[in-house]
Amino acid sequence: MNLVKDLYNYRELLKTNIKKDVGGKYKNSVLGVLWSFINPLLQIAVYALVFQVILKSDIDNYTVYLCCGLIPWQYFSSVVLRGAATIIDNGNIIKKVYFPREILPISVVTSEGVNFLISTIIILGFVIFGGIGLSWNVLWYFLIFAIQFIVSIGVSFIVSSLTVYFRDLQHLLGIFIQLLFYATPIVYAISSVPAGLQWIVKINPMSYLIEGYRAIFYNKTMPDFQELLIALAMGIVLCIIGYFIFKKLEKKFAEEL
Amino acid sequence: MAKEENRIIVEHVYKSFDIYMDKANSLKEKLLFWNRNKKEKREVLKDINLTIKNGEAVGLIGVNGSGKSTLLKLMTKIIYPNKGKITTNGKLTSLLELGAGFHPDFSGRENIYFNASIFGLTKKQIDERLDNIIEFSELGAYIDNPVRTYSSGMYMRLAFAVAINVDADILLVDEVLAVGDQHFQEKCIAKMKELKEQGKTMVFVTHSLGTVKDFCNRAIWLNQGEIQMDGEPEPVIDAYLKATT
Ligand SMILES: Nc1ncnc2c1ncn2[C@@H]1O[C@H](COP(=O)(O)OP(=O)(O)O)[C@@H](O)[C@H]1O
Ligand SMILES: [Mg+2]
Repeated sequence: MNLVKDLYNYRELLKTNIKKDVGGKYKNSVLGVLWSFINPLLQIAVYALVFQVILKSDIDNYTVYLCCGLIPWQYFSSVVLRGAATIIDNGNIIKKVYFPREILPISVVTSEGVNFLISTIIILGFVIFGGIGLSWNVLWYFLIFAIQFIVSIGVSFIVSSLTVYFRDLQHLLGIFIQLLFYATPIVYAISSVPAGLQWIVKINPMSYLIEGYRAIFYNKTMPDFQELLIALAMGIVLCIIGYFIFKKLEKKFAEEL
Repeated sequence: MAKEENRIIVEHVYKSFDIYMDKANSLKEKLLFWNRNKKEKREVLKDINLTIKNGEAVGLIGVNGSGKSTLLKLMTKIIYPNKGKITTNGKLTSLLELGAGFHPDFSGRENIYFNASIFGLTKKQIDERLDNIIEFSELGAYIDNPVRTYSSGMYMRLAFAVAINVDADILLVDEVLAVGDQHFQEKCIAKMKELKEQGKTMVFVTHSLGTVKDFCNRAIWLNQGEIQMDGEPEPVIDAYLKATT
């Protein structure tokens, strides 16, 4: 496959890009590292306050429950928002030099993936100190992560190439992500969704993935493999469609930017 | 890898650009004004056919706006033709615009890594070439300054030094050479001669016709997007001069 060969040949560029992204966030500032933890912690605090204290959610250990969904969700939302901007932000090099354009969305997904791996410390912290503890089932994390990675690649191909043609898609995506947040079982449980609305949750691969993370961290059980398989299938379909769209649109990137 | 005979094959290539008078870039505008999107097609290249063989040094000449840069961009795959086909065999490197593939806040040295990685080199390969690149660029202590502080001549030195050190089979160079001083231009030409002797293929755009005569074994004259003449440098340049003066 051409893509694999290209990625191999241009691995240094991919590495540099990822390092620039991840390093940029943590580089020589204690505050940088701190910030990447404070941001999700603050969000957890706010949602916990709203849903547990004010709306009196009946889920046990609500903060831990929340955290298992929120941290993976943040990975997803960064992929969408940063992915949507990556081709436009790199317009200058795209217009002047050739390199496989796929490198750009793939770097975003990978560097955000590294950030997610680091933020997983937060989940571990909550699970361990929140009175739930760890089981060997947490090792399934890597499988769920891999599936989320595949889903993210597909999504990033689509959003990164479409925004070049429709600039305000970037803003629309911001709103869309906020809506999708509530259509994904992060602050609530799937079981509390009315039967008639269940489909909204079920067409979203992130629902299955978040259920998976929650199974291994919060419930200390194995993930539901059938659900993961559905998410994987959705991810593969997204990758195929996304790659097709990307390849089709990339020919005009230099002229549209 | 076996020696490829034909390095660049351009078959019936047409390229036109859409010129928007008032470009709708947002979804809203595209939906609202889909029929009011005034656009004009400007045909920039018409039925270009070319075969460039291994070891050829081709000078591309023509007045401003004749489509030279567009042709080079098509060969690098920065843009794609509307019709026709372009095939290139072998590793291709291009030097089309100053500052292309540089990060202004990085130092010259960091940019060598960045730029060479865009051309598909690995860290190890760049490490091996670093000293050569720095030496060729003659940037001395400036190599550790951020490139946004460079003059255009210094930019060009660095870019050229990287481009000739990436071991490409095909080198495409647009007018950028012109910003270098006399000494550096001569050095670049000497280096390109050396590469030509090694059997590399080169296509370059220049307005210095003397250089084309001296260095190229083929000249292509583009006129309003069409190949007016293609052949030995001497007769092509004479005809070009006659037509333009
Ligand atoms: N991105 C673009 N959009 C619209 N017109 C363009 C674009 N790039 C080049 N052109 C037009 O194409 C013609 C050829 O340009 P170019 O290839 O840069 O010529 P040259 O390099 O020979 O001076 C010019 O008329 C120029 O205005
Ligand atoms: Mg030009």
